[in-house]
Amino acid sequence: MQLEAMDRELMCSGHVGCPGCGATIAMRFALKTLGEKTIMVLPACCWSVIAGPFPQSSLKIPVIHTAFETGGATASGVRAALDMRGDEETTVVVWAGDGGTFDIGFQALSGAVERNENFIYICYDNEAYMNTGIQRSSSTPYGAWTTTTSGSDWKKLRKKNIVEALVAHRIPYAATANIAYPEDLVRKVRKARETKGSRFLHIYASCPTGWRIPAEMSVRIARMAVQTNIFPLYEVENGIDYTINVKPREYLVREYFKLQGRFRHLSEEDLDQIQGMVNEDWERLLRKAGERA
Amino acid sequence: METPTALQNVLYMPRTFATTESNKTGAWRFLRPRYEEKTSPCGAACPAGEDIARIEMLITQGAFKEAWETILMENPLPGVCGRVCYHPCEGRCNRREFDAAVAIHSLERFLADAAARNETKPALPRQPAAGRRIAIIGAGPAGLSAAWFLNILGYETDIFEAMPAAGGMTRWGIPAYRLPEAALSAEIARIEAQGVRIHTGETVTAARFEEMRKSYDALFLGCGHWRGLSLDIPGATGVGVEEGLSFLRDIRGGVRRDIPGVSAVIGGGNTAIDVARTIIRRGGRAIIVYRRRREDMPAFAEETRSAQEEGVELRELLAPVRIDAAAGGCVLTLQPMTVVGQDQDGRGKIVPAAAAPVRIAAQRVFTAAGAGTAAPWHEPPASGASGAVLALSHCVLLQDDRGAPVVYGGDLAARDKNVTQAIASGKQAALALDVLFRHGVGSVRERLASCVVGHGPALSLEIYLGGPRRERNAHIVTYEEINADYFQYEPRLVQPRLLIEERHSSFDEIELKISAHTAMREAGRCFHCGICNNCDNCYLFCPDVAILRARDMTDRHIDYDYCKGCGLCVVECPRNAMTLEEETP
Repeated sequence: MQLEAMDRELMCSGHVGCPGCGATIAMRFALKTLGEKTIMVLPACCWSVIAGPFPQSSLKIPVIHTAFETGGATASGVRAALDMRGDEETTVVVWAGDGGTFDIGFQALSGAVERNENFIYICYDNEAYMNTGIQRSSSTPYGAWTTTTSGSDWKKLRKKNIVEALVAHRIPYAATANIAYPEDLVRKVRKARETKGSRFLHIYASCPTGWRIPAEMSVRIARMAVQTNIFPLYEVENGIDYTINVKPREYLVREYFKLQGRFRHLSEEDLDQIQGMVNEDWERLLRKAGERA
Repeated sequence: METPTALQNVLYMPRTFATTESNKTGAWRFLRPRYEEKTSPCGAACPAGEDIARIEMLITQGAFKEAWETILMENPLPGVCGRVCYHPCEGRCNRREFDAAVAIHSLERFLADAAARNETKPALPRQPAAGRRIAIIGAGPAGLSAAWFLNILGYETDIFEAMPAAGGMTRWGIPAYRLPEAALSAEIARIEAQGVRIHTGETVTAARFEEMRKSYDALFLGCGHWRGLSLDIPGATGVGVEEGLSFLRDIRGGVRRDIPGVSAVIGGGNTAIDVARTIIRRGGRAIIVYRRRREDMPAFAEETRSAQEEGVELRELLAPVRIDAAAGGCVLTLQPMTVVGQDQDGRGKIVPAAAAPVRIAAQRVFTAAGAGTAAPWHEPPASGASGAVLALSHCVLLQDDRGAPVVYGGDLAARDKNVTQAIASGKQAALALDVLFRHGVGSVRERLASCVVGHGPALSLEIYLGGPRRERNAHIVTYEEINADYFQYEPRLVQPRLLIEERHSSFDEIELKISAHTAMREAGRCFHCGICNNCDNCYLFCPDVAILRARDMTDRHIDYDYCKGCGLCVVECPRNAMTLEEETP
């Protein structure tokens, strides 16, 4: 794979992300594509720490650290300020975890995109509150262990479908992306940058620490999430037009689950049940994309 | 616009002014990745030790000349081997476990043909003149290979060939439909252009050989096995019985001869197959009679298959008993055999079956039951009467007080007698002589062992000369070590071939040319096991921005100040060109 944008580097070494952190890979790809003319709004999340303690920063662009629930609102304000200065060139990006997007920051996000505020909201999804000690979020998938869904109380609720929630706002552009598919990810960030209005990207970012996986497996597991249809890669324009971007090899979901410590307790019956859920969601997506009658 | 100072006066916000680069996160590391190229299974399986993974990589880049030169560093006859080698490389290709092996032999032939068509001159490194002269007896593949490598190593070489043209068995024993004369001649012309002198029509007798041992610094004896062995049965030398090898030689030499009617061919090697297929092309019918089973035949399976396509009949488990003259030809009497277990080579062990003899009437019988040396002094010595005999895998080195050292090579010393093994023998001889002159005979074994490809026995000139290939780990990459997620299923190229009807009446080459486009696409199927092709996965996926690249993007190294040792680069390397090790304090 040779991508021209890939030669640009706006992230520094020496950050304190865990070894094999998927969220840092996501940030590298995104910044390589967004370029220097970017202001990033960081509500509380892993990246609040990875971006560095004062006076250090691991990012070579301006960053505003903000409260957990205010990503959408702060970005709206930054955009308004830039507009007042006549700066249309700079892109405003919210970079939030799943907690700040699916749960705590959801009202600010929903309010901002309802107004079609002109920014990109990127959720890097590691499927729990990893930074504070692996507490479950509404993004934590069915079947997962977290410190708040431990033992036999593993999570028995499905993951919130955040892209569908955003699509329901009829925003200009919403898409999923994955750190194991850099070309697709880069294309989507570029497309988002070139679109006006509210744009939303949901990036799958594996977490070796919270998922109980070896650090070197984080990209392989991310790829497996796509190949098993657990995390399909697709985009939606204007809340209506669906396109599926990667045709999966359709491995069985157990191939994905067996690689991760957080799913170790699941029985064969549980896995069969999960396979059924994944199949159902995939069929629904195929219908939306017009690939099934 | 406000000045920066004015801005600071109104902004009540902490502003960072340092990067995180002062945190040397490399201290977290307990595993250490590093770049380490490894050995591809194809290259290790090639008797000539060609650097196949790299050759295919160069083809994908369109660097045909460089790819061809990479072959020439290890094998002077790619145009011959691309056609007639039994390609053990493809049998070990890791791609077999994914979809199908890469058509390595077709690509080798493509490179040789492209170079010949464009009259490309290779730019190969030649060592400084060593000031020594080597005589080579026999211009077959072994002799040509020895001369080629000795020439690169800085020696003066004279080849003496008894026949009117060079090529040995490749010219006189392999029919044109497998190896056209033009393809062979182009290779020989290039070897001569490199500075090798070939004296054709010069037979070396025992007396002249002894004389040469005084006038040259070393000799290579690669005069091959030319005397077809006759069968030890009644009637084997009678009327209507011909020897297969000399028949092939006559046809290659231009004898126009029709072979009508039915001919029986006794034997199971490549000569038997070639005799039968030549008979078909001369208007006859051919029946191959073999005493063991088809799967025990020493002939290459693909050649046997082609022969049967063309109408050659194969009868197995029939041992010849006698040949009798009869009206209009002869009658071959055969004893049916049966298999009881295996012999030590893993072939079926045969004993006479309790069945009546079978008789086959044929106009003539060809024997192709193996070949031997033409004169007793061609045989390599078991031990020197007064000197040292060093028996290597593909040659025998004799050093005694009667003159210059002699290397017996090619078919004279090889266990498996074919073109590629002969090339391997010539290379081994050249390297052995170079070691002998530089470090003495006592160092030969050890020095040769240090330049094997993988775990041997193939030798590499590039490794011997200390080239980059020397850095590679001998570990042979397995399919499990390939990250198959990075490859798509793609069918192997379909080799265009002459129609069967076209083959019946002509000695035209059966396998047709492939286009550059097809070659590049086929090379693109190669995993390039164990070698870096600058795919940049390591750089892209590093969460710590710890892969540094040279300005021209061809070289990478790891910044251990920041690498946390997560190992992602190693897992995401599609071809196992990186290694993860425990960090040593």
